[in-house]
Amino acid sequence: MISVYHYLILSAIIFSIGTFGVLTRKNAIVIFMCIELMLNSVNLTFIALSRHLQNMDGQIFVFFVMAVAAAEAAVGLALMIAFYRNRESIDTDDFNMLKW
Amino acid sequence: MSALELQSLLPQIILALGATTVLMLGAWYPSRKWILGGVVIALFAALSAGLMTPAVPEVGNLYSTGSYARFFVVLWSLLGALSLLLSLRYAEIHDLPGSEYCALILFAICGMSLLSAATSLIGLFLGLEAFTLVFYILIAFKREDSRGAEAGLKYLVMGAVATGFLAFGISLIYAASGSFHLPEAFAGLEQAGGMRPLGLAGWALMLVAIGFKVSLAPFHLWTPDVYQGAPAPVTGLLATGSKGAVFASLVPLFAALGPLKADLEQVLWLLAALSLLAGTFAALPQRNLKRMLAYSSVVHMGYLMIGLLVGGSEAHRALLFYLISYAFATLAAFGVLTSFSRVDDEPQEYADFRGLGYLHPRRSSLLAACLLSLAGIPPLVGFFAKFGIIAAALKGGYPGLAVIAVLAALTSLYYYLAPIVVLFMQQRDARQLRRGCRHEYFVLALCFSAILLLGVYPAPLLDLLTGILP
Repeated sequence: MISVYHYLILSAIIFSIGTFGVLTRKNAIVIFMCIELMLNSVNLTFIALSRHLQNMDGQIFVFFVMAVAAAEAAVGLALMIAFYRNRESIDTDDFNMLKW
Repeated sequence: MSALELQSLLPQIILALGATTVLMLGAWYPSRKWILGGVVIALFAALSAGLMTPAVPEVGNLYSTGSYARFFVVLWSLLGALSLLLSLRYAEIHDLPGSEYCALILFAICGMSLLSAATSLIGLFLGLEAFTLVFYILIAFKREDSRGAEAGLKYLVMGAVATGFLAFGISLIYAASGSFHLPEAFAGLEQAGGMRPLGLAGWALMLVAIGFKVSLAPFHLWTPDVYQGAPAPVTGLLATGSKGAVFASLVPLFAALGPLKADLEQVLWLLAALSLLAGTFAALPQRNLKRMLAYSSVVHMGYLMIGLLVGGSEAHRALLFYLISYAFATLAAFGVLTSFSRVDDEPQEYADFRGLGYLHPRRSSLLAACLLSLAGIPPLVGFFAKFGIIAAALKGGYPGLAVIAVLAALTSLYYYLAPIVVLFMQQRDARQLRRGCRHEYFVLALCFSAILLLGVYPAPLLDLLTGILP
């Protein structure tokens, strides 16, 4: 029998994978994919909890998270294009004009 | 949503609909005059928030319409209107599209006022995201400027990760308490039993996210880069409004926290102390005004954190007073930078300011006054604000933090006086910078009178803050 704890553990694992990817990857688009992974693990938690608690609020939050993730991806890709036009790269190693 | 609820949320609706209208009409009639229209919309929202009595105390279990929330709608609308006025000439010089810029700033104000009014974790999440998304765009608004794009991308990656942490933290609190609505969410956490550790872990994740958004050490590393890369008027709003709105939403959150606060106390203590120390040490060697202000803002966030940690109505009043004094001084400092900026570049290195006090005496003196107020020199408002926070820390039983705060304030004199020395006491070899325009002088004079008047005569504002605190 799969209980709510299994879902929570699964989403914690996915969230950790996403966080790890954000910290270690160099390509901005891959970092973005990792952020999407984090947000989707949050969605999984909310849906599992919503069913467990017999409460619709969690599912409503999922819609908001999806909307925010979509908006963030749109803005993020536009920023990457702006950065790429200037620097011909989207590698985080090239984020080096502003430091100290 | 009933008509009464719509009426109660009218100021935010004015901001959002006004922004949409400006955005749509701007597509047909592109003009920089829209920025002036945005000022009118923001002032209109402030007026409606100040004068109209809301019909219901809470809208949709999401946003409060109490006097506390209304006060911050007025404050953020005024700050937004001031930064729009500041941007008028800046947008002309840098050839920024007027209607888009204006609409984005209005959306940001709307998000900030929603966040300060949040009474539920959903409302908190939505308000926070509403203005962070806008700032991602505004930071990189100068398209051909590669530093702007880099700053925007850095802020976006950090901000998106913080969003993930915030959402996951909220989900864990929801797991433990079964509610998003604020008093219930914490009350549920108290009785949660086996789920209680989960709720506390959720709080930890939320604190990480909040730390990112208001740049508390050790989550402050994006701050100097973003301040430096963003256009000066945008940095002004980012430094004041976006951080202020988060703190304004945290005050009722912590007031509702109850006995749970004892579990968080050590973490909050550590965040406050680390921000004070890390900000101070990083600000000392800076030779770039924007980066120095960024690190010093980390220190200011540390002071605000002390107010939050001490709790109680007196400490919260000191926190809000500090927030307002910081907002006006910082906005004026970035306003001076805006009014100096030319087509090719904004002056921000100390070398650009050498002897500028002789060439542009009025604006240089104003910049000096802002820095002195931030440093906490009487009779400017910063002194009174710092005094309030430190007194609250002593009364609340945090002598260690009070000592660190006093030391940080003393050390801050060094990095705040350094640019003033450069402005007034060195060989005058700076080039002539841009002449200011009327709008900029108006905003700067308004901020300066606020800094001075509140410092000499703070009683009315303190009374007002006592009245609105929940």
